[in-house]
Amino acid sequence: MKKIDRRDFLKVAGGAVVGGGAGFVLSGAPFDAFQWVVEWTQDQVVPSPGEERFITGICHACPNKCAIRVRMIDDRAVKIETENKGCSMGQALVQWFYHPERVKYPLKRVGKKGSGKFAPVKWDEAIQDITTSFNKLRKEGKADSLAAITNPHTMRSTLLLERLLRAAGSPHLYTESCMCNLSRAAVKHLYNLDGALCYDLENADYILSFSARLLEGWGQPYSMHKAFLNWKKTDAKLVQVDTLCSRTASLANEWIPLKPGTELTLALGIAYHLLRKGKTSRGTGFADWSQMVFNYYTPDNVSKITGVPIETISRIAGEFAEAKRPLAVAGRGGTGISSSAAEIIAIQTLNDLVESTGKTGGVSIKLFSTLGDPPADDIARASLEKATRSKGLDDFIASEIDPGILIINEANPVHRSTHGKKLVEKMQRTPLVISLSTLINDTAHYSDYILPTLTALERIGESAPVTRSQSLCAGEIILKIARGIEGVADAFPWSSRAEIDFPEEELITPRTRAYSADIFKEHLKQISAQQEQKEYPLALIPFEVPAIGDGVGLAFPYVLKSIDGKIFSYDKLWVHMHPETAEKDGLSEGSKIDLISKRGEIGSVRVHLTKLVAPGVVAVPLGFGHTSYTKYGSDKGVNPKEIMTADIDPISGTADWWLTRIQIS
Amino acid sequence: MIKKIIEFIKSEFYSYSKNVRTAIIIMLAIALCFAASALWIFLFGLGYTDMNNRMVWAAWIIGDFSLIVLGGGAFFTGFLFYIFRRDEFKPIIYNATLIGLLCYLFTFIFLALDIGQPLRFWFGYIYPNWGPHLLPYSMMTEVFFCITFYFIILVIEFTPTVLEHPLIIKYAPIKWTAHYMHKLMWIFAAIGTFLSFFHQGSLGGIYGMMYAKPVWYRPHLFFLFVASALASGPALTVLVTWFTGKVMKKEVVPFKTLSSLARVSGFMFIIYFLFRVIDIYVVATRYAPSYDRNYWDFWGGYYGLWTLGVELILCLIPTLLFVVRKFREQEKTLVIGVGAAVVAVIMNRFNETVRGFAVPNFPWDEFIGYLPTIQEFFVFFGIPVCMALAYMFCVKYLPIFPNLKKDEETSSEAS
Amino acid sequence: MMKRKWGMAIDLDKCTGCGACQIACMQENNLPIFEDDSDILKRVTFLELMTVTNDTDADAKYGEVKVAYIPKMCQQCEGDPAEPRPPCVSVCLVAATDVGDDGVVSQIWSRCIGCRYCMAACPYQARVFNWWKPRFEGDFKQGLNPDVSIASRGTVVKCTFCSHIWKRERDRLIAQGITDINAVEYTPACVAACPTGAIVFGDLNDPLSEVSQLAKDPRAFRLMHPIDDKDESRKKDMHRYGRFPNPKVYYLTSQSWIRDLMRFT
Repeated sequence: MKKIDRRDFLKVAGGAVVGGGAGFVLSGAPFDAFQWVVEWTQDQVVPSPGEERFITGICHACPNKCAIRVRMIDDRAVKIETENKGCSMGQALVQWFYHPERVKYPLKRVGKKGSGKFAPVKWDEAIQDITTSFNKLRKEGKADSLAAITNPHTMRSTLLLERLLRAAGSPHLYTESCMCNLSRAAVKHLYNLDGALCYDLENADYILSFSARLLEGWGQPYSMHKAFLNWKKTDAKLVQVDTLCSRTASLANEWIPLKPGTELTLALGIAYHLLRKGKTSRGTGFADWSQMVFNYYTPDNVSKITGVPIETISRIAGEFAEAKRPLAVAGRGGTGISSSAAEIIAIQTLNDLVESTGKTGGVSIKLFSTLGDPPADDIARASLEKATRSKGLDDFIASEIDPGILIINEANPVHRSTHGKKLVEKMQRTPLVISLSTLINDTAHYSDYILPTLTALERIGESAPVTRSQSLCAGEIILKIARGIEGVADAFPWSSRAEIDFPEEELITPRTRAYSADIFKEHLKQISAQQEQKEYPLALIPFEVPAIGDGVGLAFPYVLKSIDGKIFSYDKLWVHMHPETAEKDGLSEGSKIDLISKRGEIGSVRVHLTKLVAPGVVAVPLGFGHTSYTKYGSDKGVNPKEIMTADIDPISGTADWWLTRIQIS
Repeated sequence: MIKKIIEFIKSEFYSYSKNVRTAIIIMLAIALCFAASALWIFLFGLGYTDMNNRMVWAAWIIGDFSLIVLGGGAFFTGFLFYIFRRDEFKPIIYNATLIGLLCYLFTFIFLALDIGQPLRFWFGYIYPNWGPHLLPYSMMTEVFFCITFYFIILVIEFTPTVLEHPLIIKYAPIKWTAHYMHKLMWIFAAIGTFLSFFHQGSLGGIYGMMYAKPVWYRPHLFFLFVASALASGPALTVLVTWFTGKVMKKEVVPFKTLSSLARVSGFMFIIYFLFRVIDIYVVATRYAPSYDRNYWDFWGGYYGLWTLGVELILCLIPTLLFVVRKFREQEKTLVIGVGAAVVAVIMNRFNETVRGFAVPNFPWDEFIGYLPTIQEFFVFFGIPVCMALAYMFCVKYLPIFPNLKKDEETSSEAS
Repeated sequence: MMKRKWGMAIDLDKCTGCGACQIACMQENNLPIFEDDSDILKRVTFLELMTVTNDTDADAKYGEVKVAYIPKMCQQCEGDPAEPRPPCVSVCLVAATDVGDDGVVSQIWSRCIGCRYCMAACPYQARVFNWWKPRFEGDFKQGLNPDVSIASRGTVVKCTFCSHIWKRERDRLIAQGITDINAVEYTPACVAACPTGAIVFGDLNDPLSEVSQLAKDPRAFRLMHPIDDKDESRKKDMHRYGRFPNPKVYYLTSQSWIRDLMRFT
C-alpha cells in the first residue's frame, strides 16, 4: 500500500472539505439554518390554533343592547362580530375581557389609602367584613351615612343598590352625570314626574341640537347611528348648535356657531319667536314665563350674548315651528354631559311649545323604574327621616356629609367629576370604601375593597365566554352584601340575581306642566358678566375623542392606537385653538402651554391651530389625565375637569363645567 | 506569542507622530461607539432610530448612497487606466481601487444595519424580483446583484496589490498570479465599468422609478446618478490621496496625477451640473405638473429651497475650478474643489432622501423633520472612521503607492 | 379562473369617525400592543382614520371650516390595468408583495427583509414597519386570531383587505363541496364593524354590485388621484409623463371641500 504522505493527505482533506462544503451549501442547509436563527432570535408569538365556533349574545355595555356574535377559537374569544351594529367599544370587548390588569379576585387594601397596594382575599372574607361594617354602622345609628355612587349605564345593579341603601336607611344614591339624571331634575321641575327625557330621535324630521354631540357618543352610539341613517333616508334636517365645529356639526345639515355656554340663551331666544308666532303651552306659570321671555330674551339681547345673527335665530325658529316633527335636544357633550337643569328646562320648553312632547319623533318621559319600596325596619325608618339627600353627585361631594361606607358601582367619579379631588379627600376620611370594578381606575385606587365585576363580554348570554377569574356580576355582589346585613336581608328575598324580575321602563306623556320664570331672570346678567370678565379671557370647551369618550376607553391599547396625532402624540395632549387666539399670545403650532383657571392649573399641553374652534376658545379633549387606569391609561395627558368650573347647579346638584374660563401661560 | 504581538502593535503605534496617535485614539473610541450602536440596533431593532413610517430612509441611506457614488472613483479610474490606457493614473490606481473597495465594503455594513431583517439578506439573491425582462422589475434587485458582483470585481482588482506585498511577492506562484492578473486586469475593469454603470444608475432608478411619488419620479434619474458618480468619484480619490499625503508628509502620488484626475472630474462635473439643471427644469415643467403638483412645493419645512441652493453652489465650485488649469494645479484650490465636489454629491443625496421624505403626501399633512438618535449618529460617523482606520492599515502594510516605493528606492540608492 | 376584483366604497357622508373600523381591524389582524403608542409615525396600524379639515384653505374662516374623517387603508392600487403593477409591488427587492388575480395586494412578511422600499413608494403611506418587537402582554395573547400570523420586528405589514377571511370562506365552501373560486364572498373586518354601513365592499368586476355602482356615483372620488376628474385631453397630457396608482378604494362625499382637499394646488 502506498504510504499516504503529507501532500496527499492535504489533497484529500482539502478535497473533502471543499466537497463537503459545496454539498452543504448547495443542499440549502445553511439557508434553512439562517431561517431558523431568524425565527429563534425574533421570539415569535404564535396564536394557538383551535376549532372555530360562534357564540351569539347581547352586549350589555350600554342600554342599546346590540346583538353580537363572538368568534371563539376553542375557549378563546378572538373577535366580536357586530354586523354593522354596535360601536367601537363593542370591538374592544375582547381587550377588556383579556386585559392583563383585570381585577381577578376581591382585593383588600394593604398600604395607605391611595398607595395602590392591594392584596387578594377570598370572597367570603370580603363580604363578611363588609356586612359586619354595615351592621355596625346601622347599630350605631349612622345608617344615614351610607352612600353610593353609580354609573348611569348600570340600570339593574343600580336598582339593587338603591334598594339596599333604602332598606338600610340611607337616601344617598348618586349617579355620575348623564342625560338621565340631569334631565331627571328638569323633568321633576317641569312635569313633577320622576323620569328622564327620552327623545325619539330616529323619527324626528327637524332636530335642533343644543351642543348635544349626537354622533360622537351622546346617548347610545348605535341607536344614534341608526337615527342618523334614518335621517338621511327620510331627509330629516339636523341643525347643530355648537361652539366648535365638532364631528356632529360637520355632518349636520346646518351648523350654528355660538359663543361658549350660551345655549340656554339661544333656546329662550328661539322661544321668543315661537311665542310671537302664537305658540303656547298649558301649564302653571306660563304667562309669567312668557312675559319674562319677552322682556329679557329679545332678539337683540340674545344675538349679542350668543353671537348668532338675528336673522338666523328668527329663521331657525320659523323652520322649527313649521316642521312636522320638530325636536329640540338638550345635553351638552357626548359621553360626558354637562348642562344646567335650567338649560334643559329651557330647551324642553321649546318641545312643549311645538307640541312635540309625547308624540312620535318627539320627546316622552321615561319613568325611572324601581323594584318597589323595600320594607324598612325601625333603624331604617328613623335614619331616613333625619337624612337630607343632596341634589346630585357634585352637591354630595361638596357637602359636609362624610360617608361611613361608600360604595362605587362601576363608576369613576374621581376622574369624571370636576370635584374629583374633593371626592378623594372624602374617600380618605371614609372608613370603608368599596369599589365594584373590572379594572383599578382612579376611584378604585382610593378604595378599601375592590370587588371584581364582569365585562360586557362575560354577560352576553348563556353561552358567554367563561370568566377566568373570580369576578361576579355587580348585581350579584350587591345581593350578596345585602343578604348579609341584618334588617336589610328581608328586602332581598332572592338568592341570586337571575331570580329577580326587573320591571320594564315606562314611557309616558306628561300631563301637568309648571313653568318658572325665576330661574331664567338672573341668567342673562350672569352670562354677560362672565363674558366680559378680563382675568380669564378664554373659554375652555371640552370635546370627546373617538373610542375614548369621557375616559373609559383609554385602558385599551387598541384604543391608544387609534388616537389622532393632533389629540395626543409623543406623550403630550394637544388643545385646539384658533390661529388668532394663538397669535395674541405669540403661540404657534406645537407650542407648549399650561391652562390656568380660577380652580387651578394643568399642563403642559401642546397647541394645535385650527379654525374649527372659535377665536377666544380653547378646545380640550376629555378622557385623559388618569392618575390610575392600568399602565395603558395612566399618566397620559391631563384631565381638564381638574380646572373646570365646579359651580353646582342648584336644581340638579351637578357641576356645570361648560362655562369654564381660563388663561394661558 | 501574545506578548510579541502586543509589543509589535505598541511599536507600530508609537512609530506615528503624536497628532496621528491622538487621532487614532479618538477614532478607535468612535469606532467602539459605532460597534456598540450597531450591536444595539441588531439586538433591539430599528425603533431606536429616528426613522419612521414617513421618514423611511434617512442618515444611513445617505451614507450608503454617498459611499457608492464616491466609490465610483474606483471604476472610473480603472476604466481610464486599464481601458483608455491613460498611464498618468498609474500611481493612483491602487489607491482608487482600495478606496472603492472600502466604500463598497462599508456600504454593505450600512445596508446590514438599515434593513429590518439583516439575517434575511440572502433572500435578495434567492428570491429576486426580476420579472420577465432583462432589467429587473425592482431597481433594488438590480442594485443588489450589481454591487455584489462589482464588489467581487473590486476584490479581484485589489488582489494584485495585496499579492505585491514584499513578504509574499517573493514566492513564485504569487508573482506569477500577480503578473497575469495585471495583464488581464482590463477584462475586470471592463466588467467593473459595465456593472458600475448599471448599479450607479439603478441607485438613481431607486428613486426615479417610484412612479406614484411625484417628489421623485423621473426615469432619467438613472443617468443623472451615473453622471454624478463619474464626476464625484475621482474627486473623493483625489481628496483622500491628498489628505494621506499631508498626514504622511510625503508625496504619495505625484501632484500632476491629482491634477489630471481633477481635470477629468471637472469635465464630468460640467456635464453633471448641466444635467442637474435640466433635471430640475424637466421635473418642474413636465413631471410634477403631470401629477398636479408644483415642484417648488416639494421644498419646504426645515429643508426648503436653501438645500437646493447649497447643492447647486457646491456643485458649481468644482465645475468652475477644475476647468481652469491654474486652479487645478494649485494645491489650495484643488482641495477646495474636491472638498466641495464631495459635499455637493452628499448634499444631493440628502436632497433626494431626507428632503424627499419630508414632503407631505397629503395636502393636510405637514413637512416633517429628522433628528438622528445617538445610535444613528454613531453609525453614520463611525463608518467613515472605521473606513479611515482600515485605510490607514492598508496604506501602512500594503504597497498602495508605487510612487512611494520608487521614492524609497531612489532615496535608499542615493544614501 | 378568478373573475373578481375586490374594491371598496366608503361614504364619507355617513362616517361619523366613531373608530369602530379601526379597532375591528386591529383585533382581526393581531396588531402589536404597546404601552405608549403615541409615537404616531412609528405606529403599526393598517387602517388610519385620518382627520381632515379645510384649515389649509387660507380663505376659510371659523364658521366655514369643517372636519371629516377618512378611513385610509391600503388602497390596493392596480397601476396600469393592462399590466397590473402597483407602485409598491414593482419595487420590492424580494417579491414579498404581489398583486393577486383578484386585485388584492398581498404582503408576505416572512419574505420581507425590511428594506422599506415599498413604504417609500406608496403614495398613501398605507404601509407600516414593525420598528419594535411586537408584544402581547399576559392574557392579551388569548385574544389573538390564529388566521393571522404575527409579523416579526423589522418587516413591513399592511392591510390586505382581510384576505385571510377570504381564505377562511374559501376553505368553508370547499368543505361544503363548492369549488368555484368565484363563489367565495366575504367581508373584511372594517366593513363588518361600521355601524352606519359607510364602508361597502364587493366585486368591482360585477357591474351590478353595490360597490361598482357606488364607484360610478357622481359623489365618488379617489384619494389623491389627480387624473380622475380631468377631461380627456388633460388626461392624455398627464399620461405622457405620469403613471398613476389606480386604487380600488373609492370615497363618496357630497361636501365639495373634501374633494377640494384632494388637490395640492
